[in-house]
Amino acid sequence: MNLKRISILLGKEFIHSPKNFMFIWAIVAPLAFTLVATLAFGTLFSEKPNLGIVNEGNSQLVVMAQELDSVTAKTYEDVSSLKQATESGAVDMGIVLPQNFDNAVLQGEIVVIEAYIWGESLAKNRIILPTIISDLVRELAGQEVPVEIESVTLGDEVSTPWSERLIPFLVFMGVFFGGLMLPSTSLIEEKQRKTFEALVITPASISDIFIAKGILGIVLSVFMGVVILLLNQAFGANSLLLVGVLFLGAIMAVELGLIFGALIKDITTLFTIWKAGGIILFGPVFIYMFPQIPEWIGRLFPTYYALQPIVELSLRGGGWSDIAVSVFILIGIDILLVFVIAIAARGLMQRS
Amino acid sequence: MAQDAIVADKLAYWFGDLVAVDHISFSVAKGEILGFLGPNGAGKTTTVKMLTGQLKPKDGKAILLGMDVPENIEHVQSEIGVCFEDTNLYQRMSAVENLNLFARLFNVKSFDAYALLKRVGLAEREKDRVENYSKGMKQRLMVARSLVSQPQILFLDEPTTGLDPTSSEAIRNIILEERKRGATIFLTTHDMMEADKLSDRVAFMNQGKIVALDKPLNLKQKYGKRALKARVSGKSGTLESREIVLDTPQTPGDLQNLFEKENVVTIHSEEATLEDIFIKITGRGLTE
Repeated sequence: MNLKRISILLGKEFIHSPKNFMFIWAIVAPLAFTLVATLAFGTLFSEKPNLGIVNEGNSQLVVMAQELDSVTAKTYEDVSSLKQATESGAVDMGIVLPQNFDNAVLQGEIVVIEAYIWGESLAKNRIILPTIISDLVRELAGQEVPVEIESVTLGDEVSTPWSERLIPFLVFMGVFFGGLMLPSTSLIEEKQRKTFEALVITPASISDIFIAKGILGIVLSVFMGVVILLLNQAFGANSLLLVGVLFLGAIMAVELGLIFGALIKDITTLFTIWKAGGIILFGPVFIYMFPQIPEWIGRLFPTYYALQPIVELSLRGGGWSDIAVSVFILIGIDILLVFVIAIAARGLMQRS
Repeated sequence: MAQDAIVADKLAYWFGDLVAVDHISFSVAKGEILGFLGPNGAGKTTTVKMLTGQLKPKDGKAILLGMDVPENIEHVQSEIGVCFEDTNLYQRMSAVENLNLFARLFNVKSFDAYALLKRVGLAEREKDRVENYSKGMKQRLMVARSLVSQPQILFLDEPTTGLDPTSSEAIRNIILEERKRGATIFLTTHDMMEADKLSDRVAFMNQGKIVALDKPLNLKQKYGKRALKARVSGKSGTLESREIVLDTPQTPGDLQNLFEKENVVTIHSEEATLEDIFIKITGRGLTE
């Protein structure tokens, strides 16, 4: 492995890959799907999250919330009207501020807030609202105060909005389509045009060639993942961790792409396999699209371990503890695939 | 004694039960042109792949410039240039871009792509995309690409196949110039005339084995039949052919008879071609 030669080959890939139809398709297709989905379900230009409040005492928090630009705060007379409003979707989250709430906060007591969440509210709203409430409480107290939000979901929990159910599919498409198809088509094209043979008789090794193609795939893959999450306003609170998971998922996609590229003879066969075998890659996506399917089925697919952490961080507001197992399995798969690539590359050298 | 540039020592490769190269041994001296001849499937390409490090020998040793090829692959490949039979250029790049890419991979300092293109007669089309080139132009660019690092050993696989006479001649001239520079040239070809014209020695390969290896003249003397071909005017005025085999006890008498008794119109010597010799040795033609 030689860094200088990898950078030379990478330069070639960066200059010439954008002319490749697959490169264009890998960018256009996920973006087009995202645009259609967000327009169809109205999430692209969605309004601010709605917060319903029952003010049993005379908390200043209500005024503070109403002054915010990032949220629409509405007040309700009693808990039953708040619940009704939450159940009907008039508010994404409803909270009850008990009497002496402000005093308790000022004295630094542990604050417990009862919250009602609309079952079909967007995930981003479910993540944003508790964060806003916690910030307001701290602002009110003028110090760090432990805030506990006890949430109850109202309405049909299973009926997650389609705009959200599609996000795993869109992210997965962005990460896996580009990450897998770009290195595989590039490698197959090099084999078909025999330029691969010309490269391997230079001092550049086969691993230099594979790494250069892999880096381009990873860059495209992570970039598309980030863009799609941003467009869907589903980036969550742990952005660095999310990018890290996207990176690991991109490595998996690229490794599969390089294996396909090394083993498959032509682009037509690649597309046939993509069409027929895509279900194995996209299997976990259906688990999130149709929550009625038991999640354990998803665990049978290797790609689940890339998708689960992404969904957990971006849509469910999860943290490291919710994704640690999947991330370790994902790293294990990534390492295992390196060995598969080495075997496939050896076979490729013998056949070329 | 000068070190040989290429040494194959009991080199062997097989694909399953099929023995492609069967423990062949030969050497090529520095600055020598070796014509490597044989029909399709004889094992030429597999041999070249082992010598250039694309395949690891299953048995025996491939040694280039004193280095065992599989053990010094990067070093060996930095000292060789390979021109493939099939065009394998980046079609969407220009000639200059193709050459610059490979020059950088070979870590060539201050590389002048234009000078090299001028040498192969492509200087005026330097910025055109390769996909717009003719077959002959692409082949000349292939040869140019194999020269970017001024290699010590040049492997040329059918460099003139399917080319017009002008392009073929240009490539032959480059081969001779490279030899003059001191490069060792391993020339794989079907073209007997070309091999005869360019090679210091030729090796015949058949069914994975080298069946003959010598200077073309020696092979002709050893296996060929030297003869004189004469055209004589017959009794009815028609032209008839006569052949007198040389190097036999009867030759002087036959020659005397020819000139005394026949009306000789034309006469010329004829020697066996490499193709004739190959057929004689292997019982099959080179194009089979």
